[in-house]
Amino acid sequence: MKAASITRILFRNPPLLTLALVALVWIVAGATLRGFGAVGHLRYILELSAIIGIVAAGQTLVILVGGIDLSVGAVITVTAILLPLISPDWDSTGIVGVVVTLAVAAVIGLGNGMGQVYLSVPAIIMTLAMATFLQGLLVLIAGGSAVSVTNEAVIWLGSARPFGVPASIVVWILVAVAVLIIIHRLPFGARLLALGANPLTARLSGVNVNRTTLAVYALAGLFSGVAGLLVLGMNRQGYVGIGDPYLMTSIAAVVLGGTSILGGRGSYAGTIPGAILLVTTTALITVVNASPGWRSIMFGSLILALLLISGREAQR
Amino acid sequence: MDVTMPLVEARGVSKGFFGNPVLKAVDIALYPGRVHALLGENGAGKSTLINLLSGALRPDGGTILMDGRPVTKLTPQGARAAGVAVVQQELSLAAELSIAENIGLGATPRRFGLIDYRALRDRAAAVSALVGLTEPLDMPVGDLPLGRRQMVEIAKALFRRPRVLILDEPTSSLSAHEAGVLSGLVRTLAAGGVAVLYISHRLNEVQALCDHVTVLKDGMVTADRSLADVSAEGLVRLMVGRDPGDAFPAFAPATAGEELIRVDGFSAGAVRDVTFSARAGEIIGIGGLIGQGQEDFLLGLYGAIPATASKAEICGVGHLLASVAAATAAGLAYVPADRKKEGLVLTHAISANLLLPSLGRLMRRGLRDRTGEASLVADLARQFSIRGDTDRFVQALSGGNQQKVALAKWLPLAPRVLLLNDPTRGVDVGTKREIYLMLRAFADAGKLIVLLSSDTPELVHLCDRVVVFRQGRVVATLAHDKASEEAIVGAAMGLGIEGVAA
Amino acid sequence: MNLSPSSPRWLYLAIQRRRNRGLNGLYLVVAAFLIVYAILFPGLLSIGGFSKFSQNWFPLALVTMAQALLMLNGGISLAIGPLVSLGAVVAAISMGGPAGAFGGFVAVVVAGLVIGALTGLIVAYMRLPAIIVTLAGSFIITGVALLLLPRPGGYIPDWLSQALAGHQPTAFALLVVILIAWKLFLATPTGIGLYAVGDNPVGAFRSGVPVERIRVVSFAISGLLTALAGLFVAAQTGSGDPVIGTSFTLNSMAGAVLGGVGFLGGKGTMRGAIAGSLLLSVMINVMFFLGFPPVAQYVAQGVIIVGAVAIPVFASRWRKA
Repeated sequence: MKAASITRILFRNPPLLTLALVALVWIVAGATLRGFGAVGHLRYILELSAIIGIVAAGQTLVILVGGIDLSVGAVITVTAILLPLISPDWDSTGIVGVVVTLAVAAVIGLGNGMGQVYLSVPAIIMTLAMATFLQGLLVLIAGGSAVSVTNEAVIWLGSARPFGVPASIVVWILVAVAVLIIIHRLPFGARLLALGANPLTARLSGVNVNRTTLAVYALAGLFSGVAGLLVLGMNRQGYVGIGDPYLMTSIAAVVLGGTSILGGRGSYAGTIPGAILLVTTTALITVVNASPGWRSIMFGSLILALLLISGREAQR
Repeated sequence: MDVTMPLVEARGVSKGFFGNPVLKAVDIALYPGRVHALLGENGAGKSTLINLLSGALRPDGGTILMDGRPVTKLTPQGARAAGVAVVQQELSLAAELSIAENIGLGATPRRFGLIDYRALRDRAAAVSALVGLTEPLDMPVGDLPLGRRQMVEIAKALFRRPRVLILDEPTSSLSAHEAGVLSGLVRTLAAGGVAVLYISHRLNEVQALCDHVTVLKDGMVTADRSLADVSAEGLVRLMVGRDPGDAFPAFAPATAGEELIRVDGFSAGAVRDVTFSARAGEIIGIGGLIGQGQEDFLLGLYGAIPATASKAEICGVGHLLASVAAATAAGLAYVPADRKKEGLVLTHAISANLLLPSLGRLMRRGLRDRTGEASLVADLARQFSIRGDTDRFVQALSGGNQQKVALAKWLPLAPRVLLLNDPTRGVDVGTKREIYLMLRAFADAGKLIVLLSSDTPELVHLCDRVVVFRQGRVVATLAHDKASEEAIVGAAMGLGIEGVAA
Repeated sequence: MNLSPSSPRWLYLAIQRRRNRGLNGLYLVVAAFLIVYAILFPGLLSIGGFSKFSQNWFPLALVTMAQALLMLNGGISLAIGPLVSLGAVVAAISMGGPAGAFGGFVAVVVAGLVIGALTGLIVAYMRLPAIIVTLAGSFIITGVALLLLPRPGGYIPDWLSQALAGHQPTAFALLVVILIAWKLFLATPTGIGLYAVGDNPVGAFRSGVPVERIRVVSFAISGLLTALAGLFVAAQTGSGDPVIGTSFTLNSMAGAVLGGVGFLGGKGTMRGAIAGSLLLSVMINVMFFLGFPPVAQYVAQGVIIVGAVAIPVFASRWRKA
């Protein structure tokens, strides 16, 4: 009886279900695989999850508002290549470079929003075209070679551990708190949910559709930029294609967290365990030591299997 | 005992959703050649009953009989095969397909595996002629206005040569002429031996057309009798289970208040060069045939579609309102006719819907004030008697209660002007009366109410003035004492009846 | 019963004519680009030039059809690129086998149909959104392609490459055949059911259209077209490559959207999508001949796609104003 009701609560609450899955996987893997449960390894998993989690923060907002952002990978690449190029030498802290790069990322996101608002281009096309555009632009600018980072702020982000907690996780916590407040405690969050569920009703109820859309996509660009800086800090090098893996994973993390791909329903609270679940899965697949082909197959099948458990779309 | 056997019969069927019983031991029998009315307030279980009879849902208890034989597992295909055709309120048409393809969809004649377009044309043309559909058959349905689509939907049902035809509020989007064609058609079909189940909120229609009535109330049959000796009042009594009293509150002429809307040479969408003014405390009716620009008039005032005017003053603002945000800030509120698509976010909680327009007004330390919001929601729910948990999805509410949410959500903004687009469409008698009383109370409290309605009696009984639209222009402005049903309909049809300028 | 005066004598043809409405602008733009291209590259008018041109267009046309088919039906696929790769890989490893070129062809057809149908089954019966299923599917399909052929290679018979990608306009002829087959399919109950399911699934269900089955069929046909595009690409390059198809996911969507196919299902026409793919193909060719470096082509392509989608919107705004 009791077990049944716990199952029911879990299935009614996707974020909790995803969290339970993470706990289950960690416990089983920790008990069976040597080294998995070590603090260092788990911390590493969380560090990687932080990047996906931050990209997926923007992706969550975009999907909640009924869109999708296929340019997050390209934005990560842009920031990772742009930052070393534009960080001025006179600024030893590197803050200026960070701020300018993040501004560029936000402006790219804003561009995605403007295409939809002023040109009526669907999100999927606008962001795909933006990704294509940026890809070409980057090669023109960077010439296809890797650039190394000397920016102090970014190196700190990639390596510092204040109080033993990696900086990337600290950043993730800050982003998570901000996004949860946006969604649940600000009028803006309620408006974007309404907009995602029914644009017409939202508009006739006084929601400023254009402004909300622009803000959401700018935020998505900003968060991708933050993730790009973390990626750069960890790799110490930016190159074309560095952001590619984060596109599909960000969408998968959002959906695994129970947010409806159709918009209007969900929360970042599910995306957080969704990101951890995804990274854990990838780590386990790496442990198995299979060929790239098998890894890809296992990854895809696992996403599909997890979706069947958690991400089922209640149709109508 | 009847000599004939019912074509379709339900015996003691019951059905519940999520533990809430919707139908309790309901009996209904549809006989060939009889037009059978199914009446009941919204939420009484009519739609569920239709779904059971057409196989879209399975009963929890009881039996469905087709031609006297019990059918255990009725599917939509099975019901269709037995000759049951349903015309539901939600149309089943595909906009990109032609009229002919839509009419034949799911039952197209074929030859060598391909659609036989020649046979399709002949048969589709035949049923189109029956319903008075004169548009070319190759025209995409998406190009038709709503009322014509409804006729395509009916033609589609006839295409399958049904023995049992179920019509769920077929006239709600039809013009008077189209409704007349439909009435004639229903009589012809019944004379040809078809069993018709007719659902409508328009009692005069039911009285004129139907032979027999089944009344549902709270999932139970409260009457199953011939219509021959029942008056309209009697029907209402059967539905609400009490004396209807006066459907409309007593009319009280407005005490002239401040002028809240004044537009000269106003154009928006289909509206051309309209001059209009209205004062606080008035209820102004907007009438006319369907689709003559009335809706565009409201939307234009509300800033939802582009509009122009040579002179405009709205709630003290000296020009037209350019956006919905500007309109709500100025004190306007708009309640759309299509509450599911435009008025509500169906998949969100009642509370979230009630709070949507007033987001940002209840804040504490830069965040939404949860306590304040909760008490506001509770207040609104009490004031509008929206019962039950406000964390439920709006979807779960009956039509009438949904409409109350769509109206209630504006009150926290204390609007001075309410633009209402057919607020009682598809709303049951009881809720209708509640809404009328509210409108009266709002007007008495000094709000201006602009009431667009397809229900002419509403315009006659509630409004200080009725403005009649025809082809985008105002053709008459009738003061309360001149606004009879005949005058409004006459003006709407373009007959020269003297208008009384406001 | 008398025919009402409004019923056209040849209903099918009348409906077909109506479908061209709204596409005239697109046809004009395509024609304009073709003329520009023919001026830049007069060889287009020779048999060889036309053959080369249609060979560049052919796989894009197929994947655009595959994508448009799903979009019309209310779905979408993010696995088009990987499935093109898989089609190429299957062709390259099986044509050298005992069953020969024909066996390889059969293997590609079966692979496309089965993978498409499986995707469709998951989408239709498990009620998962197509975008997510095909996202996961893209990893699985890429993995399978990598397993079958870890690096470019395999064998395509020379005569097949010559026949498909040689100096005869075989590709164009095949496209015509495929289009005729599509027309026939659209004239079946399943064909018009496809539109109905995309536009109004509940209504289609109530009308007796087998909604789930049509979803599965459309995914299967889409998979078939995509895998055939892979076979063609393999014939063009003479070998299989597990990542050769990557760019086709975006281009298939771009072609369909350029052709006026909407994302919400039921909106648009296949002829529009074909014209869209032709437009995209011509634009890429024109850029190539204008001497754009391949990288700049990406930039231009991003701009052109947005522009092409936005222009009709602006045009309709002006018309209203």
